[in-house]
Amino acid sequence: MSYESPIRDQLVTGGKTYRDVTRDITRPLENAPSKGWWIGFSLSTLVLALWIGATTYTVVVGLGAWGLNKTVGWAFDITNFVFWVGIGHAGTLISAVLLLFRQKWRMSINRSAEAMTIFAVICAASFILSHMGRPWVAYWPIPLPNAFGTLWVNFNSPLVWDVFAISTYFSVSLVFWYIGLIPDIATVRDRAVTKARKFWYGFFAMGWNGSAKTWHRYEVISLILAGISTPLVLSVHSIVSMDFATSLVPGWHTTIFPPYFVAGAIFSGFGMVLTLLVIAREVMNYKDYITEAHLDAMTKVVMVTGTMVGMAYITEFFVAAYSGVEYEQYAFLNRAFGPYWWAYWTMMSCNLLAPQVFWFKWARTTPWFIFIMSIIVNIGMWFERFVIIVTSLHRDFLPSAWAMYTPTITEVSILIGSFGLFFFLYFLFCKFLPTINMAEVKSIIPTHHEGDHGHDSHHNHSHETAEKGAIHGN
Amino acid sequence: METKKMILGVYDNPDKTYAATKKLLNSGYSVEDVYSPFAIHGIDRLMGIKRSKLSVAAFLFAMTGLSLAVTFQVYVSYFDWPMIIGGKPNLHIPTYIPITFELSILFTAFGMVSCFFIVNRMFWGKNADIIDIRVTDDLFVIAVNVQQNKTDIQALNQLLIDNGALEVRERTKE
Repeated sequence: MSYESPIRDQLVTGGKTYRDVTRDITRPLENAPSKGWWIGFSLSTLVLALWIGATTYTVVVGLGAWGLNKTVGWAFDITNFVFWVGIGHAGTLISAVLLLFRQKWRMSINRSAEAMTIFAVICAASFILSHMGRPWVAYWPIPLPNAFGTLWVNFNSPLVWDVFAISTYFSVSLVFWYIGLIPDIATVRDRAVTKARKFWYGFFAMGWNGSAKTWHRYEVISLILAGISTPLVLSVHSIVSMDFATSLVPGWHTTIFPPYFVAGAIFSGFGMVLTLLVIAREVMNYKDYITEAHLDAMTKVVMVTGTMVGMAYITEFFVAAYSGVEYEQYAFLNRAFGPYWWAYWTMMSCNLLAPQVFWFKWARTTPWFIFIMSIIVNIGMWFERFVIIVTSLHRDFLPSAWAMYTPTITEVSILIGSFGLFFFLYFLFCKFLPTINMAEVKSIIPTHHEGDHGHDSHHNHSHETAEKGAIHGN
Repeated sequence: METKKMILGVYDNPDKTYAATKKLLNSGYSVEDVYSPFAIHGIDRLMGIKRSKLSVAAFLFAMTGLSLAVTFQVYVSYFDWPMIIGGKPNLHIPTYIPITFELSILFTAFGMVSCFFIVNRMFWGKNADIIDIRVTDDLFVIAVNVQQNKTDIQALNQLLIDNGALEVRERTKE
């Protein structure tokens, strides 16, 4: 019962019927995987093996396997952690914030963006674990009565806040994602022809029957979950930024960090969503669902957040100059013109300058170009974290302690390997779960389009439904 | 156990389903439930489903999380083992805010979703009682209660068909 404006473009093109949606979205689940899927999956498994190898090596040898030194104690590990957590922000942003704003274009992309969130947070958590050096004591930041008497954690520390923030974010995102999946899992259950599929999808569908009473409650909790996830997603990256902002290191001790990190997280998250969706719509043939209008909307978000991040870079410079604090001023001059100048200017050009091309309609609607841009955005955002962490640390208050940091092959392998972990999980998701939210997409399809179809297709359709009902004894 | 007899009208369009439900209710039939592949907006109000109390549950869970988090942090850092780290005070409300906020949200999400599963009687591995296998695909079903010797089934069937039903069936439920 929705009003369809004659002016607005359709969110789903190709005159799809409800049945078409079900068929298109369940196709990858119900058929043998394509060649492309096998190639991608094998490749990511290989890269995942690199991650397992390099991480195991680190755990066995210790942090000496990394290029850290007395001056630069955080480098690739925390850079990668913040990078992945940032990527993990787009999913919940798309599904929660855009739900509150009633942006219906989110409906074809929220499922895969949320999946991406969960996988990215898994990657981020893996860096926290390996960076501890002794991952078997990873439970220490959790306030548990322990063997040292009841020596509790220090609640003044943002690192402890981070433990709560990341774990809450992960588990709430997982719940939100699963709640969204239940009606679609039920759809797959009711179409299942193999025993295994019937059992597993039936198991996770939790007896979903699509009744009006259930739907009513479902809508209530979806709205509340969106309402609580919105401040949650903003809080998580704010707290991550406080890991730096509450310290006294020049270049870190900055009050604009929380909003600036959140904007950066949205920026990099949308970058990664675009990377994945431009491929997915091509490979899985979902161009009618993820249309150019979707790419257009997402690239606008990329441009706005990229510009916000760029403004933060410039503001930092201004504040350092205006503060009159020598150390602060040096930290920023050193970033731009010191030995890591190349990292700084990579960040500047990828994050502030490059996204400005999205002022042009052509750039916003040309998939191959958007794909290249999304990679550039990801590179830029990785370098942003590298610049913040390494350039602030490597030349501190005491010139005798100044040092340079170079990553070892192990660290580079873990970084590359983490993409293997991410894509490994993503390919599994594409094979076993519907990558587009069918129930939501069906709700935005216009209800009176009988005229769009010939008489024949309509006839076939009703014949087939009758047949299917007969098979299942209904 | 009493067996319930229902007449099912199967539709292919949410607007038709909404209109038919309205007609049925106006004609005095008792609509047991409407099954659909996605939420039909407004049909809950039409059927007189009261606004779910899950939002109240969510608020109570949020308050539980909030008070537990505050109590625990104050207990740990002020009463049980006060420590001076970086000269910061032991009872320092601002530093409790992030964890309190996160735990409130954690409790809300898990508490509310658990309540949702309980009121819908949903659990992992439940054998679904599906009214029609196609309601998760592309069809909409209105289930109308039939009272023995009271309801004129012929008229009901006609009403369903007149409002665009693709098929009309009978179903008994225990």
